Amino acid sequence: MVNPTMPTDPANPPYAQTTSLVRLVAAEAWDHLWPWSHHGFQRQRALQAAGMALALAATLVWVLAAMGQMQVGAVIGWWFGWSVFEVFVRLGSKPYVKDGPWWGRRYRVANAMDMVCYVGFKNLLIGATLFIALKSLGFLIIQG
Amino acid sequence: MKFLAALRNILLSVALTSTASLALADTYEAKLPDEINTAPELCKYAPCAEVLPGATSFSERKGQPRYVEGYAEEAGKKKLIGYVMLSTDITDTPAYSGKPVITLIGMDTGGRFVGVKILKHSEPILLLGIPESALTRFNQQYLGQFVGNNIEIGQSRPEENIIGLDAISGATVTVIAQNQVMMTSGTAVARQVGILKPTIREQAKFRETGAKPDWAALVQEGAVRRLIVKPEQVGLERGGEPFIELWFGYLNHPDLGRAILGEGAWRNLMARLHEGEHALFVIRSGGKESFKGSGFVRGGIYDRVQVRQGADSFTFRDLDAVNLYGIEAAGAPAYSESSIFIIRSKAFSGAYPWKFVFLGNRVDRATGARSFANFDVEYWLPDQYLEGGRPEVVKPDAPWVRVWKTRAVEIALFAALLVAVATVYAFREKLTRRATRKNKWPVNAFKYSAWVISIGFVGFGMLAQPSITQVLTWFHALLFHWQWELFLSDPFIFLFWIFIIVTVFVWGRGLFCGWLCPFGSLSELLYKVGGAVGLKRFQFQLPRRWHDRLKWVKYGVFFGLLAVSFFSMGLAEKLAEVEPFKTTFLVGLFNRSWPYTLFAAGLLGLSIFTERPFCKYLCPLGASLAMPSTFRWFGLKRKQECDSCKACAVGCGSQAIDEDGRIDHRECLHCLDCMVLYTDDHACPPLAQERKRRTKAGLPLTPIGPDGYYIPIKLVPVRADAAAKN
Repeated sequence: MVNPTMPTDPANPPYAQTTSLVRLVAAEAWDHLWPWSHHGFQRQRALQAAGMALALAATLVWVLAAMGQMQVGAVIGWWFGWSVFEVFVRLGSKPYVKDGPWWGRRYRVANAMDMVCYVGFKNLLIGATLFIALKSLGFLIIQG
Repeated sequence: MKFLAALRNILLSVALTSTASLALADTYEAKLPDEINTAPELCKYAPCAEVLPGATSFSERKGQPRYVEGYAEEAGKKKLIGYVMLSTDITDTPAYSGKPVITLIGMDTGGRFVGVKILKHSEPILLLGIPESALTRFNQQYLGQFVGNNIEIGQSRPEENIIGLDAISGATVTVIAQNQVMMTSGTAVARQVGILKPTIREQAKFRETGAKPDWAALVQEGAVRRLIVKPEQVGLERGGEPFIELWFGYLNHPDLGRAILGEGAWRNLMARLHEGEHALFVIRSGGKESFKGSGFVRGGIYDRVQVRQGADSFTFRDLDAVNLYGIEAAGAPAYSESSIFIIRSKAFSGAYPWKFVFLGNRVDRATGARSFANFDVEYWLPDQYLEGGRPEVVKPDAPWVRVWKTRAVEIALFAALLVAVATVYAFREKLTRRATRKNKWPVNAFKYSAWVISIGFVGFGMLAQPSITQVLTWFHALLFHWQWELFLSDPFIFLFWIFIIVTVFVWGRGLFCGWLCPFGSLSELLYKVGGAVGLKRFQFQLPRRWHDRLKWVKYGVFFGLLAVSFFSMGLAEKLAEVEPFKTTFLVGLFNRSWPYTLFAAGLLGLSIFTERPFCKYLCPLGASLAMPSTFRWFGLKRKQECDSCKACAVGCGSQAIDEDGRIDHRECLHCLDCMVLYTDDHACPPLAQERKRRTKAGLPLTPIGPDGYYIPIKLVPVRADAAAKN
């Protein structure tokens, strides 16, 4: 039976039932930062291999950025490329998103658009924070 | 034949007018020669003659800040007829794009503006919609104006001696920045050449204490200040060492002069000064760049340092510099360059704040082009060194503050509207419970009022239509030059975006899109009016399968614009014409060429027959807000029976309820019709069924709970004592 109170079916991540608030927050933070899961890795080996290469490339880009060698197009291009990859990885590894208040515990199965929205928004926040931090510390000079 | 000729002429003129507006703007991101920023012969690279009519020859750049003199030939002799200045030689005030509008300005010897020419701008709003000629027309308002006049954007206020300039609708921030550029540039040159008399300030009356503070104490109390320029601030590689580190301070005060120079050196220095002359010291404790530069060798002017007090600038010639032989104050840093500079003007006063300015060049590391940049630090003699303390100084309001002050009433009304709509929506359940499927006025009265106010006051009145172009502009400003002042210069858009960001996270995009977006409101109002005047039988919804396909188009448009903006902001701005907002509200349906008018009018016309076609299928702004709406905190309520019941889905104008009764919060526009049904015991099938059952069984109809069902009747066992009484 479909549950119409949620946009998609309910999901139950491994940490959803924990009673410790600290553990829940830590697990969610880890979930936001680490898109892979053991289960997903087994299913997506080819994709993961390509992903690791992409992750290394993205890391290199950030190192270059920290050295002040990065141009706008490259930064945005890598951010975008990484985000697309992360969507695919998460759909295989952690295919759920939170529903309702961010402090709540309602999780639901993510469809492709949910995951695009989640990854896009999360990476925008992470990217903007990193970008502003690097720029204000003088590590990053953007050339138009 | 005459008919054919007339027809040909009409077609030709239509084609010309339409293509003219589609043509690329002339000076948008125009490529200027690199030398224009640095070459002594400015007029070899810039069309100086166009802004100083009658001039046949021009001097090299001179003065500080830089300008050139223009001459006419009269009886074989050169006669000075005016001055030409490049705005970026004087100020780097950025416009809405975060980049300056590079302007060539001509002024005659009487201080009247005689020519203005935009050489380069990066303003997206002037690409399409508002033609570049609007900025040219705006600039023409300066012609004939005296540089010393109080010129502001807005209405003239003769009682306050303020001359008003007509703004460009939809480009307020750009023209505010442009006014600042014009007046700052004109005033700076007019003061240098003596057209504007310097402000005479009351001289400082020093309070002597006899104290002899050391360096640390001088720095702590602000009697000695430091100016640091980092390499990255001038476009160089980031490094550990500063580009330049300078310390400076005022020497006329006996306590300070003695503490810094020592008794003998200070007395010698004071003996050299005449009345109204002032001395300050400068030392370089870091960096390799010389603050003296080489300009004083060539032209006798120190072109890297300057003092500014109010609108007056004080530059130093070779005769204004005296050797500094040593710093007496204990704990002073080691230094590798030093000088004492003398300000020879009664306009300067040690009692008032002033700025020490280091004038530099910023190098674009991508192109190697240099542009003007200055770095300053304010200095104000500490309280204890002045008789009666520091005088009261009223600093003029920043341009954005003036905008907020002059439009305070409208801003307050707008803020009240936003708060009122959010409050009404927060209490939506109280309204939906009062409404029924047949009488939705308890909700609609508020919603329709919001629409009407949004269209009239917000859209046509305040021109506060949020747009995807603002999102793109912010993104680029974040990358290049973020300035809060720029965004604060348009208070309505600024407040609107705060409202949008907050409400999208709390409730989703529907509150903005469904209740307050001026174009969305206009679109749905047309649909409602169409239905009310008898066109209901022609009104339709797209079949579900087509709706489910077409709703993705708007996300494609959004991502397309975002992708294009990474490569060309200008092209993205042009493509953003997919939003008919500019045509409808900012410029006006009848003020644009026909393709735009046809597009906007077509969408509005279609809105009469189908609900919000633009919002559902095309709007990139709606798409960009829909994505975070996935994670809104509080959605609309559903019951388990909604999985098979179609009552709400059938009436959902935004077609946001799927065949399983689930609401797609990305598509929902918060009309609240489904929430009205949720508690309507005559319209919601599970509720109606329960009502009938209870009525038939003679059971009471309890209130409807937050879960949308009648509060259950629970049978409680009768207590023994109560039973005994009976």
